[in-house]
Amino acid sequence: MSTIFSKEANKAPVKIVIALLILGATITAGFTYYMTPKYARVGYQPIQPVSFQHSLHAGELGIDCRYCHSHVEKSGHSNVPATSTCMNCHNQVQVLSEKLQPVRDSFASGESIPWVQVHKLPDYVYFNHSVHVNRGISCFECHGQVNEMDEVRHEKSFSMAFCLECHRNPEEKLRPLDQITNLDWRPESKEAQLEFGNEMKEHWKVQPPTSCSGCHR
Amino acid sequence: MKKFLKHPEPSESDLKGPHYWRSLDELAETDGFKEYLHREFPEGASEFDGVNRRQFMKVMSASFAFAGIGLTGCRRPESHVMAFSKQPEGMIHGKALYYASAMPHRNDPVALVAETNGGRPTKLEGNGLFAGSNGATNQYAQASILDLYDPGRSKKSVESGRTLTEAQRTDHLVAISKKFQENGGAGLAFLAEGIPSVTRTAQLKQLRKKFPKAIWAEYDAIDTSNPDKAAAVVTGKQVRAVYDFTKAKRVLSLEADFLYSDPNHLAYTRDFSKARKVEDDHASMNRLYAAESYYSITGGMADHRLRIASGDIPALASLMCAAILDLNGSMQQASQALKDSAAGLDVDPHWIEECAKDLVEHAGHSLVVAGPHQPQSVHALVIAMNELLQAQGETVSYVSIPENTAASIFDLASSIDAGSVSTLVVLGGNPVYNAPVDLNWADTQDKVGEVIRLGEYFDETSEKSDCHINAAHFLESWGDAIAYDGTVLAIQPMILPLFQGLTESEVLDTIINGALREGYSIVFDALTETLSGDAKAFEKFLHDGFWAGTASRSTSVSVDQGAIATLFEEEQDLVKLTKTSPTNLEVRFIPDPSLDDGRFNNNGWLQECPDPVTKLAWDNAFLVSPKLGESLGVVAGDTLVSVVRKNPNAHKRGKQQGHLIEVTVDGRTLTGPAHVQPGLPDNTIVVSLGYGRTVTGNVGEGSGINAYALRTSAGQSSLTGATVKTVGGIQELADTQEHWSMEGRAIIREANLDFYNKHPDFVDHMGMESHSPPVLGLDENGGNRRDTVPLQELVVNGKKNRGNSAYVTPEFTGAHQWGMSIDLNTCTGCNACVIACQSENNIPVVGREQVKRGREMHWIRLDRYYSAGPDQHPNDIPTNPQVSLQPMTCQHCETAPCESVCPVNATVHDEEGLNVMAYNRCVGTRYCANNCPYKVRRFNFFDWNDREMGRDYEGPLGPKGMDELKKMSKNPDVSVRMRGVMEKCTYCTQRIQEAKIEQKVAARDSGDIKVPDGTIKTACQQVCPAEAIVFGDILDPESAVSKLKASNRDYGVLAYLNTRPRTTYLAKLRNPNPLMPDYYDNPLSHMEYNAASGHAEGHGDSHADAAHATEDSGHSGH
Repeated sequence: MSTIFSKEANKAPVKIVIALLILGATITAGFTYYMTPKYARVGYQPIQPVSFQHSLHAGELGIDCRYCHSHVEKSGHSNVPATSTCMNCHNQVQVLSEKLQPVRDSFASGESIPWVQVHKLPDYVYFNHSVHVNRGISCFECHGQVNEMDEVRHEKSFSMAFCLECHRNPEEKLRPLDQITNLDWRPESKEAQLEFGNEMKEHWKVQPPTSCSGCHR
Repeated sequence: MKKFLKHPEPSESDLKGPHYWRSLDELAETDGFKEYLHREFPEGASEFDGVNRRQFMKVMSASFAFAGIGLTGCRRPESHVMAFSKQPEGMIHGKALYYASAMPHRNDPVALVAETNGGRPTKLEGNGLFAGSNGATNQYAQASILDLYDPGRSKKSVESGRTLTEAQRTDHLVAISKKFQENGGAGLAFLAEGIPSVTRTAQLKQLRKKFPKAIWAEYDAIDTSNPDKAAAVVTGKQVRAVYDFTKAKRVLSLEADFLYSDPNHLAYTRDFSKARKVEDDHASMNRLYAAESYYSITGGMADHRLRIASGDIPALASLMCAAILDLNGSMQQASQALKDSAAGLDVDPHWIEECAKDLVEHAGHSLVVAGPHQPQSVHALVIAMNELLQAQGETVSYVSIPENTAASIFDLASSIDAGSVSTLVVLGGNPVYNAPVDLNWADTQDKVGEVIRLGEYFDETSEKSDCHINAAHFLESWGDAIAYDGTVLAIQPMILPLFQGLTESEVLDTIINGALREGYSIVFDALTETLSGDAKAFEKFLHDGFWAGTASRSTSVSVDQGAIATLFEEEQDLVKLTKTSPTNLEVRFIPDPSLDDGRFNNNGWLQECPDPVTKLAWDNAFLVSPKLGESLGVVAGDTLVSVVRKNPNAHKRGKQQGHLIEVTVDGRTLTGPAHVQPGLPDNTIVVSLGYGRTVTGNVGEGSGINAYALRTSAGQSSLTGATVKTVGGIQELADTQEHWSMEGRAIIREANLDFYNKHPDFVDHMGMESHSPPVLGLDENGGNRRDTVPLQELVVNGKKNRGNSAYVTPEFTGAHQWGMSIDLNTCTGCNACVIACQSENNIPVVGREQVKRGREMHWIRLDRYYSAGPDQHPNDIPTNPQVSLQPMTCQHCETAPCESVCPVNATVHDEEGLNVMAYNRCVGTRYCANNCPYKVRRFNFFDWNDREMGRDYEGPLGPKGMDELKKMSKNPDVSVRMRGVMEKCTYCTQRIQEAKIEQKVAARDSGDIKVPDGTIKTACQQVCPAEAIVFGDILDPESAVSKLKASNRDYGVLAYLNTRPRTTYLAKLRNPNPLMPDYYDNPLSHMEYNAASGHAEGHGDSHADAAHATEDSGHSGH
């Protein structure tokens, strides 16, 4: 048979296996990078029509999240504030700022400011803000340290696994209700968090849904 | 000692006679049945027409290639959040807002609450505050929202082919105003529908002041004014009879359809159901006698139903009245006169006698009602009978109503013929289509110099008019409507007119005052002035949806006998006997259960909603009795399987083959398909109105036959003297229920009330589970756990409850466990739930062709079964069967058979007992639908939402994308499903989640997360006028649903399969009178069951309780 297969051929199986491994790894890596929310979404930071700085407003000035996102405790959607909310302050503050021209235009014309959506869920997912912020889950858990971001960035993956991680172990994330919008709050220790979380889970009857009907309708 | 299940030895009666479910092997021998059994879906449902797999792959490969190109741009597209410039008050993004409104509909408007999402109305529900209907709605009101978003709506005003701008349109109306200013309106005429409202009354007053010579005429194709007219004649007062069915223990209906199509049917259904609800043993319930010419919903509920030609109802009423008079021993002369007038009527005198006796025995608690289409004489007799039965003040009250001074369409026509009308304004309606054919309205209208038409659709009348003005939908309008009981209901806009349509009051006001005014001010002025209220009262009116205290006052009346005699004299042509025969047939015109008088012709939801009794969708047909059908030769040949009940209507590949017949009355002919309908009088042909429109949208185009072509002014509800012949040819009809018999199975369990009182546990002795070991296992003492262990305990602790079953039961750990109870005793089968579900759950319309293939998408369907009793040979068609209807939807089986076969876990249980569908996981194997014993799963064979109806087969080459208007009608809380996924009832999971979230939000840092009972109402439950559907938490023993499930009438359909359905049914009861000639010991379906399962009459011997059955049948295993 040596006339057909040279000695080199003995190495072929190894080569094939290596090639397959490399191919597999490439496909896996490519798929992971391009297709999974963890990479496809995280870090998304579009340029907004007005360079609104969360770090200034929520951070330095210490305006509560709910001043602008006023319906977050009542509705499934956390509203992007109407231009009129901006103008509550900006009819006196920075009235001549060029950066705020689109805001003044919108207020005068009645047209919307076309804010670019950062966080987006698929249409078949029905996430509800109000039930989370009223039951001990902070904005921070999904949106990250927004009070330190200049422009809002997609911080977490928002994949189903991300949701389920917390829905299966809510005690790791529960916090006192008066600290929900305090993005700088941290538990004293992991043990303290678990102790508090477990107690609250029991006391508040926190039973996050882990089956399809919880989020898909 | 091990126990084995063995079926009881067949009894002697089992071994002879037709065999039913015990002999499936035998059945399966026949080829036709074998094929039927082996099919996953009805014939044709899962096949392409003329396209084989190879061709299909060729076409599809092109689309695969396209998909490849598309992949390159798979990064997320940028999208924008368009926040308000100025935040509107009270609006929270993501939260629905609810406003009260009403749907105007003849003299019977429906009080509504509209749900608006982001400024667009998406769902209509009944207004629970309004006592008149108490939260109930009907299929029309539910579907009316689709009309708002109908792409086929009239979108512009047109004058002789030229589109009018808004200003031109106003100018046009102002010009009319100016033109008639001088001569006081001589030559000006209006034709409107009879929709009473305060605004209209006020405007008519103004109109008559400004244009005293103008003619105001009203016309309704479905005339419901006879009862009021008769009351005026007989009592001498302007009154209306309003019935209280809660107090009526005995009801006689003379072709009244008070549960479905008659005015005020919503309130009547609520009240009737209350008197029919049975809550305990030794219960009593009302009894309904019905005499009618077609199988109506009311007839289906009747305990005694008499088939009789519609034209013979007056004679029946006369005899009934005479019988009551005789029993009262009064006015023998009158009684004799009545008997003479009805001499020769072919009805069993015992029927009349015993019925009358029963009514008289319950005087004060009995009631006679007649259909509004019946001549005034009948209504006069009804008033007289109710007086004799001492019903006034008890079951009947007479309320004062304003006199209707409007001219009729006939008066108007004669004015036109006399040449005294130069300008005609047609406000709504569609007279060219639906006016009596002898009026020849199209030509009459042509004689008028200028015809202006206000209409929501560009229809037959618009086509014949000089100027068409597009009307606003009622959800875009300011207005009011006067309910049947006189209460003023608010109509307020949910959205600005999408196409700048005008309302009737705006058009009228412009003509009267010469300038366009906003609808709001017109209505505000009219109401505050008429009802002497202020702005605050008006605000409350808008908030509540009705003006409190405006219901008509009741007044006492007395009967003028002389007037009745005079009426009879005047209407002698109408009240004489029909003497129908195969050569002198009666044609009965009924308002269509789906399309009404034709106004909903372009409404896809209603077109696709099967007729409650015939189960035909998309078309109407001539309904003929089996006898007439046989003589015409249009009934199906004998079935392949002789033990299965013969269906009189032939089917081919699941499509009904309607033989074309030609019906001729007085020289007018109409050709259409025949549908054999058991339960009709032998010589009456029934045809529904509203189809066969020539100018309509793309939905209604080409549907059905136009029965108006036969209808005359003298015979608006029925005509005699018709002849019929077959003309050859077949029209395929889309019917959603091919088979009509339960074949002796215990699917709907029924019994007579007396039988139930003697055997309160009769449901347990019906069906396979009475022979099988208890599905919930035995308790420590060997008793059936179903009876001894509370329901709440049975729900959790799955394993223990499974009677040693090998399957793993889901553990239900949720705080609630959802369940539903459907009371078959009060369900009338009206279809309102079908449309409510469609509206709530974004269920698509599939179109006629797809319904023919059995691909309709309704999540809830009404199964209609006929039963003819065990004596009827399977190959004979029953002439007078009993009908039983059953809402069938996903049963949310605790051990769902669909779940175990899903290869991708797309359908699984959640912790609260819902059988959930994850659309995004579904790959469309359809195994689940195949394995579902209830056949309630629906498959998206096509992209119904994204494709134009009827162009499904064009594949990637066809147009794609949903119409913008259609998009607006969708419920934002429910996913719109795509092609290739399975769907089914979710128990309105979006409403459950919403309620749970609200409860948790309110709970905050407390543990109060249990949703209170009654918070969640599923769409079908909310709409149900009979309150037959109850949904709730079965973990809470105090919840309404738990209490109903504890009833001894509670049973699960096919429960012996150990599916443990969460939806259970309450058995249906009938309450026949033992003295009546057509008395039956038990409902015919019950008798069929007994015969099929080999149970002796009297029952109960072959199986003691279910636990016992196990013991008995275990003998051979010992």
